[in-house]
Amino acid sequence: MHGFGYDPIHDEIVVTSPLTQGILIFRGGAKGEEPPIRVIQGPKTQILGSAYGALDRVSVDPVNNEILLPIVPGGTVKEGGILVFDRQANGDVPPKRVLVGVRGSVAVDSVHNLLVVNTGSSMQIFDRTASGNAKPKAIIQGPKAGVANISSFQVYGTRGWIIGGGSDGSICAWSVMDSGDVAPRWKIPVQKITGYVASGIALDPVHKEIILSAAGQRVRPPSGIMNTVITFSWPEIF
Amino acid sequence: MLTKTARALGIGIVWGIVWLSFLPMVRDTTSSSARLVSIQELPELAEMCPPELPGSISNHVADQQNGNLFSAFQQAPVLAAGQDAGNTTELARSPVRSILDKDPIYSSVSVDMRFNEVFLQDSNTWSIRVFNRLDNTPAGAARTEPKRVIGGPKTDVQFNSCVWIDPVNGDIYSVENDIGDSIVVFSHDAEGDLAPKRHLKITHRGYAMTVDEEKQELFLSVQYPPQVAVYRKEAEGNEKPIRLLQGESTRLADAHGIAIDTRNKLLFVNNWGNISDYQVVGTGRFESPSITIYPIDANGDTPPMRVIQGPKTQLNWPAAMALDPATGDLYVANDVGQSILVFRGTDQGDVAPRRVIKGSKTGLSYPTGVFIDTTNKELWAANLGNSSATVYPLTASGDASPLRVIRSAPEGKISLRFGKTQAVAYDSKRQEILVPN
Repeated sequence: MHGFGYDPIHDEIVVTSPLTQGILIFRGGAKGEEPPIRVIQGPKTQILGSAYGALDRVSVDPVNNEILLPIVPGGTVKEGGILVFDRQANGDVPPKRVLVGVRGSVAVDSVHNLLVVNTGSSMQIFDRTASGNAKPKAIIQGPKAGVANISSFQVYGTRGWIIGGGSDGSICAWSVMDSGDVAPRWKIPVQKITGYVASGIALDPVHKEIILSAAGQRVRPPSGIMNTVITFSWPEIF
Repeated sequence: MLTKTARALGIGIVWGIVWLSFLPMVRDTTSSSARLVSIQELPELAEMCPPELPGSISNHVADQQNGNLFSAFQQAPVLAAGQDAGNTTELARSPVRSILDKDPIYSSVSVDMRFNEVFLQDSNTWSIRVFNRLDNTPAGAARTEPKRVIGGPKTDVQFNSCVWIDPVNGDIYSVENDIGDSIVVFSHDAEGDLAPKRHLKITHRGYAMTVDEEKQELFLSVQYPPQVAVYRKEAEGNEKPIRLLQGESTRLADAHGIAIDTRNKLLFVNNWGNISDYQVVGTGRFESPSITIYPIDANGDTPPMRVIQGPKTQLNWPAAMALDPATGDLYVANDVGQSILVFRGTDQGDVAPRRVIKGSKTGLSYPTGVFIDTTNKELWAANLGNSSATVYPLTASGDASPLRVIRSAPEGKISLRFGKTQAVAYDSKRQEILVPN
């Protein structure tokens, strides 16, 4: 289970079920073997993974009541893309819209109405409601930008930051208004400090902290302990 | 001491004062000094707009009343903190907290009955830890130290889910479940950070293995797309399987544990029940966990001869399996069920296990590994939940106390059970960090 998100407005947990082509939605306080309250699954959903690994990223936009699921090329969406479902969708329902031809983890800036996709070496910034073969409004990419692939990243719309992975194992903050080969405004050199390369990011604006998950799959940490969750104070971005 | 709510409110009020004191500088350029207008309670910090530094670009944007705000931002980026595009502020600060488990998390167990050694697969420090078979951690002791450890970058041991010991020559086999996609093989006396003597590339999501010594065939279960790949025992490199059991008719569904009965020529596979055809939209479904039984030489899209499945079985995330060749009994590490289930090898349908080892005395905690020591008539379990391996008489049943325990963490410690901490989320309502595995 790698695709995971929390909806603070509706107090729900959103999880992908990669092997069953589904999205599961649980109560925020769910525990034990509690069943999901909704399941998005079926032929109309267009959800399709791959043999190796896919459907491992998901994002929830609680303000606009949407769940966003990146899919790989193939199936009904030949080029791959981002499926956008109504948050309350349940059962075999089609996506509200499909952003075609872009693949990667996704996050929404509901303040500036933007959708950001981390394609690996770039952050592609679209209108939030972009669909079809829409082109990005801006792309942050290049040696100065140093954007790296990360399983999940965040957009903090209140201050307009994209908080994602940097190429040197750092966690960086770019502005949602950046475009081109723009260096990040802020950087915490997480790998240099801790020995871990983060793969997941969560934000805690109240305590002005950033929470990172890291497993040893990219770089073996010197500690020899392969799984960790690390919290940094980062008041500058909140 | 202030409550959390009170502290948050206090901070909110302080920020409110600061923010309001800057307001005149933004809105009223004719004013000669900042004035305190009022003090009001503000909502949570996350919902408020913090102060902007005087002279920041966003202030200029706010002053511009020509056209929409978005276009203004595009001309002059930077929403916050007064950082200019092109400049990076590096913050080399230490983490305020970290969550990690310094002790091993055991996913699999195997015993070398010739040398009386126990091998435990540790998925937390990516190592294989070797103990004496008769080691027994005394009550109150912090842990039992291993006699040797195999681990390090050269070993290619990563997210490994199965350790298997060759009963003939003592070779150590280990299956990598995630990014390594391999089976690595070490000599019996391997120790430290060393390269494996053999390396077999396997399909992604390989989970468990066993070997038919008579035919010198290695059986590997693969979670998804679910399959059983059969290789030459000595296969290495990119060698392909000699048989592949896979397809809709097999009823394989997120395959995990695997066992063979060479006397009766049977192959047993357990399944979590998550299934889809990755090439066809809309084929995903959830089925209840099962054990599917095939002829040992099954190949292609072969349906099972029998299926053990249903609520009476108690199967719940079944993991490793082992078969007692003397009795034909099938032992299942029943992870979330917190039990070891024992079925007859001839069982079929919705049948209750003939024995269940479960209860507070057993020391079982999320058991995922199981091994039958046929020489000493003992049953071993690897416990993901408490950094231990527990051993029982082969005939144990019910809330049985273990004969011995090899514990690698202080008594009573509950493991974090981290498997692969790839994602994370923050539940702001409960102030909880959510870590899927």
